Amino acid sequence: MKDTEIIERTQGLLGGRVLAIANPSGRRIFLTVAPGELPGVVRALRDGLGFTHLVTISGVDKGDVFEILYHFANAHACLSVRTEIPRSEPRIPTLTSIIPGAILYEREIQEMFGIVVEGIPDPRRLLISDDWPAENFPLRKDWKFTRPEETIPGGRL
Amino acid sequence: MKVQIPIGPQHPALKEPISLRMTVDGEVITDADLRLGYNHRGVEKLAEEKTFIQNIYLTERICGICSHSHATTFVQGTERLMEIEAPKRGQYIRYLVSELERIHSHLLWLGVAGHEAGFDSFFMYTWRDREIVMDLLEMISGNRVHYAINTVGGVRRDLDDTQITKILEGMVTLRKRSEYYLMIGANEPTFTARLANVGYLSKEDAIALCAVGPTSRASDVTRDVRKDDPYGVYAEVPFEVCTSDLCDVLGRTVVRIKELLQSYNMIEFLLKNLPPGPVNVRAPRRAKPGEVVSLYEAPRGENIHYIKSNGTDKPERLKVRAPTLANYAATIKMLKKGFIADIPLIFAAIDPCICCAERTVELVDTRSGEERIVRFSDLRRAAEVRYKNVTRKGNAVWPL
Repeated sequence: MKDTEIIERTQGLLGGRVLAIANPSGRRIFLTVAPGELPGVVRALRDGLGFTHLVTISGVDKGDVFEILYHFANAHACLSVRTEIPRSEPRIPTLTSIIPGAILYEREIQEMFGIVVEGIPDPRRLLISDDWPAENFPLRKDWKFTRPEETIPGGRL
Repeated sequence: MKVQIPIGPQHPALKEPISLRMTVDGEVITDADLRLGYNHRGVEKLAEEKTFIQNIYLTERICGICSHSHATTFVQGTERLMEIEAPKRGQYIRYLVSELERIHSHLLWLGVAGHEAGFDSFFMYTWRDREIVMDLLEMISGNRVHYAINTVGGVRRDLDDTQITKILEGMVTLRKRSEYYLMIGANEPTFTARLANVGYLSKEDAIALCAVGPTSRASDVTRDVRKDDPYGVYAEVPFEVCTSDLCDVLGRTVVRIKELLQSYNMIEFLLKNLPPGPVNVRAPRRAKPGEVVSLYEAPRGENIHYIKSNGTDKPERLKVRAPTLANYAATIKMLKKGFIADIPLIFAAIDPCICCAERTVELVDTRSGEERIVRFSDLRRAAEVRYKNVTRKGNAVWPL
């Protein structure tokens, strides 16, 4: 299947839900949708175009908004579904009911960007430690690492 | 009686230490839970503060076995962002090292599988052969592990005729040895019987849980990035995607042995058709604002880097997903309904790293709260004793 054919079929399948679609290089398609439409779009892409394999979920901090990209791949192309959510209310719906393999990526994005994944079956922390301070999201651009002051039990000699 | 077994988490030498908590009922695992992050180094955050050139060496250090995979994925993406292309000879050398790395990784895995299955002579034979390919890599790049051969715009070292002859000689030896291993599999029924029916993962589950690499191909999913998304030279190199419909650890072994033989062919093709010319081009320091998705088939499976640039000499965002993370969800599925004695084998079969091989396992009896510490080697011994008397897998056949 050629890229143009995938784009045509995606537009036919999703209709008005496609906000933008781009094809910057061969076998790479970037599709933009509204965050609320995600489950429906992903289900349509899975059933209609065979994008069953979720490669990963990337997040980008763009200041006022977070950009979330769901990278899908099949034998014909790599399709990235892009959505933007406001920083003041970072919420995305879960995809685990459609693609069970999404769970680890959703847990990761939840703790790294402080995004709430609504309906996630397992919201526990995955990567950062249990004693990590709350409201510290390492991959946000305004988060800077400062080494905590060293405390030696019993005091320095 | 329900017992919880925490496995892991920490070992300083491992690239991905992991904590697995198994709930077992007698011998059978009823539930498995996962906790990661014991070696989270913040590479993605760090990459935002380093230049593209510095990031090659940073990404190379993500993994100690498939170091070339991450560096190549990053370099491929960066080259596309900078709108340059490596010269043909440079690309051939780059993917030659990729295939050599696949050979060393698969031989390492075969050794680990033999060890976990209680077949230690197999382990020693494959690791002896792995030295051949490690020496070749050292000869090409100067390093045994972090080859540092990639640069933006090509590779850093050229090959000469004596090196090419030596690599070809090494491939002859390795092919002979690999064919001998195929024969061992056919003539050693205990080995086959130990691997068959362990860690079952159906095709539907492999697709739904987004498994990658040999783990998914052993469940009959024909997915190989080299074929689906032919990057670099893979559109020109003839090879077959190796699959198996056995869906168990035996299938994963078979897939990897078949891939070894494919890699020998590919290396011979690459060397015999090595084009003349320069090995790299000069690359700019900055990349235009843009984004790129770079996919790569690492020895363990599909590797992805998502790179976003903002016009400076540093990336705005670098997202890395290594293949082992993608296989964890599938591993949990494989472990369920398995036996405690199979944990080392199932876990090793996704090739997470050699990690859990020498790990202390703590058995906690939930009823009495009594704890006992069991070394992994004791667990393996228990597994060997158990499988010596087993009859149900006696008719498993080596499928090669």
